[in-house]
Amino acid sequence: MPHREVWTLAEAGEGKLRQVSFELLSRGRKLADKLETQLCSVLLTGSMSDEDLEQLIKRGADKVYVVESPALENFTVETHSNVLLDLIKQYKPEIFIAAATTTGRTLMPHVSIRANTGLTADCTGLEIEDGTGNLLQTRPAIGGNILATIKTPEHRPQMATVRPRSTRPAPIDENNAGRIIRVEFKNNLEDKRVRRIGFRKNEDQGIDIQSADVVVSGGKGLKKKENFALIRDLADRLEGVVGASRDAVDRGWISYPHQVGLSGKTVTPKLYFAVGISGAIQHLAGMKTADTIVAINSDPEAQIFKVADFGIVGDLFEVLPSLNEKLEEVRSR
Amino acid sequence: MNIIIPVKQVPETSNVKMDEKTGTMIRDGVESIINPLDLYAIETGIQLKEKFGGLVTVISMGPPAAERAVKEAMAMGCDGGIVLTGKEFAGSDTWATSYALSEAIRKIGTWDLILCGERATDGDTGQVGPGIASFLDISLATYVSSVEDIDNGLMVVERLVEGGYEKLQMELPALLTVVKEISYPRLPTLRGKQKARVTEVPRWSVDSAGIDKNRIGLNGSPTRVVKIETPKVARGGKIFAAKDEESLGRAVDELVDFLVMKELI
Amino acid sequence: MKYNQVTPAIVSQLSDIVGKKYIITDEEKMSTYSHDETPPQYAHMPEAVVIPRKAEEIAEIVKLANRELIPITPRGGGTGLSGGSIPSFGGIVISFERMNSILEIDYNNMLIVVEPGVITSEINVSLEGSGLFYAGYPMSLLSCFIGGNVAEDAGGGKAIKYGVTSRYVIGLEIVTPTGEIVQLGGKLVKDVTGYNLKQLIVGSEGTLGIVTKIILKLSPMPRYMVDLLVLFKDTRSAIRLVPKIMMECGITPTSIEYMDQLSVKTTCDYLNESLPYHNAGAMLLIEVDGNKEEHVDADADLIGELCFQNEAIEVYVADNNTTRERIWSVRRNIDEALRILSPVQTDEDTVVPIAAITEFVEEIEKIAEKYNILIPSFGHAGDGNLHPTLLKNPDSTMEEWFETEEKALRDIYGLCKKLGGKITGEHGIGCKRKKYLNIVTSEAEVEMMKKIKQALDPNNIMNPGKIFDITCSS
Repeated sequence: MPHREVWTLAEAGEGKLRQVSFELLSRGRKLADKLETQLCSVLLTGSMSDEDLEQLIKRGADKVYVVESPALENFTVETHSNVLLDLIKQYKPEIFIAAATTTGRTLMPHVSIRANTGLTADCTGLEIEDGTGNLLQTRPAIGGNILATIKTPEHRPQMATVRPRSTRPAPIDENNAGRIIRVEFKNNLEDKRVRRIGFRKNEDQGIDIQSADVVVSGGKGLKKKENFALIRDLADRLEGVVGASRDAVDRGWISYPHQVGLSGKTVTPKLYFAVGISGAIQHLAGMKTADTIVAINSDPEAQIFKVADFGIVGDLFEVLPSLNEKLEEVRSR
Repeated sequence: MNIIIPVKQVPETSNVKMDEKTGTMIRDGVESIINPLDLYAIETGIQLKEKFGGLVTVISMGPPAAERAVKEAMAMGCDGGIVLTGKEFAGSDTWATSYALSEAIRKIGTWDLILCGERATDGDTGQVGPGIASFLDISLATYVSSVEDIDNGLMVVERLVEGGYEKLQMELPALLTVVKEISYPRLPTLRGKQKARVTEVPRWSVDSAGIDKNRIGLNGSPTRVVKIETPKVARGGKIFAAKDEESLGRAVDELVDFLVMKELI
Repeated sequence: MKYNQVTPAIVSQLSDIVGKKYIITDEEKMSTYSHDETPPQYAHMPEAVVIPRKAEEIAEIVKLANRELIPITPRGGGTGLSGGSIPSFGGIVISFERMNSILEIDYNNMLIVVEPGVITSEINVSLEGSGLFYAGYPMSLLSCFIGGNVAEDAGGGKAIKYGVTSRYVIGLEIVTPTGEIVQLGGKLVKDVTGYNLKQLIVGSEGTLGIVTKIILKLSPMPRYMVDLLVLFKDTRSAIRLVPKIMMECGITPTSIEYMDQLSVKTTCDYLNESLPYHNAGAMLLIEVDGNKEEHVDADADLIGELCFQNEAIEVYVADNNTTRERIWSVRRNIDEALRILSPVQTDEDTVVPIAAITEFVEEIEKIAEKYNILIPSFGHAGDGNLHPTLLKNPDSTMEEWFETEEKALRDIYGLCKKLGGKITGEHGIGCKRKKYLNIVTSEAEVEMMKKIKQALDPNNIMNPGKIFDITCSS
């Protein structure tokens, strides 16, 4: 019997599709091909033009299911959950993956309960098991100390969230063809118990450390709040954002949204700078999947050097200024 | 206003040691503690109680020893607690856990608010909070960073999302999962601990909580763990010492060359 | 006092002994060996740093130093607070970073044999799961060397119940100031076979010989610990309680640590710890341990009740590592936090009979007013051993500061004498306090010390300029 569709949840903000939507398509593509089935992108939105939706098709979606309604303009889990559940009942997908964003990590659990199926959070790897065709979902646990592979043998759809930026967005192929299916929004699915009544942009620019290519993090080694200026300076030069260890956040040197680690955020940037961070499991859990890791610490025994691709053992108050200087010089060349 | 706080007892993982051979966690000497992220929910619950009155009840699903976590929460200021325990629960995934806890919470009866930590530091899924809300069909807000107001059945909260803070108005009863920003956990007091010591913590079983055996434990869980492995952490990168002017200069040059080579600048 | 220079010829002799790569003569690299945690004005550059691997090498170096009349200063982790490891007369620094092996864990005899370069906290790491532990607990245990603990007879946070380093040293191997290798004591609990020379060496600040091997007694690890963090409305009510805890409860806690408001405030701000210190004038951190949870809880209750009867505002309790660590990190970070508040300062180590600490603390507050400086006090109240830390007034010049420091210290030490105390309880005299030694030590006593020193170190090459000055007999 042919397998049913592989679905990915597209996300949009301010009427534009978010990058993660395309990352999910490159994940989904592999799975759909292996299962010889169709890849479908699902979008719940206030409204979006076919032209914009075409991007999903150019990036590999065979079908795009769109539900439009003012009620879906902003994310409220109850209404979105109702709509998704309705779609799932109607089209019975085989696999359904979403990004492990605040939206995905809220909506998917809510839906999986009602769809009476399993969900695996924050996966770093997705594969199809030979023979059974089951989805093998690999995720880190216990602070990244173990990798667990999980499957959902009997329940459908098999649901998973995957870390943003854990894969490259699917490339654009102008020749890709696909169908846009606009599914009518049923008014009885709107749930008015929760209303979004405002949004406050984080003044602190570059707060979204999870979507940055370069993260420069500071820790206890900075000794005081003021010294985070050194980190900001370096981050600016590398066109990156500022991260921090739990020590630094706990000491109130920088706000919680900057915290990388077990009790903070997991980041997978192209380049991660750990400055004055010893590298407790707590922290490593949040950054050790970065492509390239650079560590600067005065303690040669510091754990952080174990995960570093490049390390400097030295006083950060000497290293950073001279590094910034050198970068300046390189740029001016 | 009555508040329910599900808490999880987790191994103290901030300095966890792994057995390289077996790929399992070395548990001896590792303490079981309240999931550190649940402490923010507990603190928030106690603050809301201090402001609006009512009772704060913690519930923990796990081995009988989970009573320790419940009692510590009471030592911080929670009024009572329940341990949901029994071999039938063993092997429950997030779906089954959400189900079991939601049934127990129904059983508790009258409450207005459920507060959860963002996620547990061991499983690290963050799915049980939303799962409970889904089973109970109550309002849900995740990643809540502040509770601004509660007034005749309506509450206003802010949630931390990518790029900013979203303000929600929600009807009670509701479930919130809270982030660290929302509060700073207080320490347990001696008076609280003494009170907790003499307060009996009821143990609820599958039957006393009216839970369907077939929907919990391994059999009730849609997901199966098929493999556990320990990732190799070490990358064995180049390490340079910056002891003096000269070695500092060299290290920095090497670093910049490295970044250029990697096309990162 | 005239010593000879470390000439290139001597450097090459040294490298014959330890190997070329274990000698440092580069100014830049040597600078880290020129100071410890005492203020910069006490720092002094060595002429050469040698990093030997074994006692025999050290014996050779010492013989050489005697021949050539060159001072030798042994150095551990460099966390000292009296300048004990500073080469005040230049010469050779002997650093122990390579002699850092745990040689033997003897479970049957409940002891451990270590080299001096072992980091103190490593000892208990090596004992994990054995049910045994080494009870020494200096606040710098994560970076100090056990050799330094022996040289300074380090105390720390658990001394009320477990005593100080000397209590656990049952055997030593040393290189004498004239270069012989001698074994003192052994794997023995009791030993009065002649003078107790090992205890003479303990706390001698590296002036009577160089320790090269240490036999430490281990203790059974208590299974349960409870910490109480007690907030009091003022200093007096907190301090007054200290002796009562032991007398009225009949309990010997592991620790009774005192922290005044300024220490706590500064540290909480530094750690962003939200303890409600604002309404508290002072805090006590009290730890009790034992093997039965009920018993330990009962002790904690008893002490807690006594605190409430004595104007305690609140008693917090920590009975797991996570909470306990949260409380202790406040205590352990006071030094660091105060240093950031005021880099120019002097932290003291006064010790008085425990019944006298109330008066002591109140007098310190007066001295602070008198000289218009801040003197946060904290420390091991249960031992009568506090660390008043004199902070430079930001508006004053360095000259004014040095003048104030001198005067204030004389007042403080005078106070110690009056109360029957001493000027240092666990940090040592070193070079930092030697000019004040005579305030609390009689001429006759100092003479005894000098005679011992001269008898064992005729050329006065072993860490000269520490404790007292001496004129070279040769």
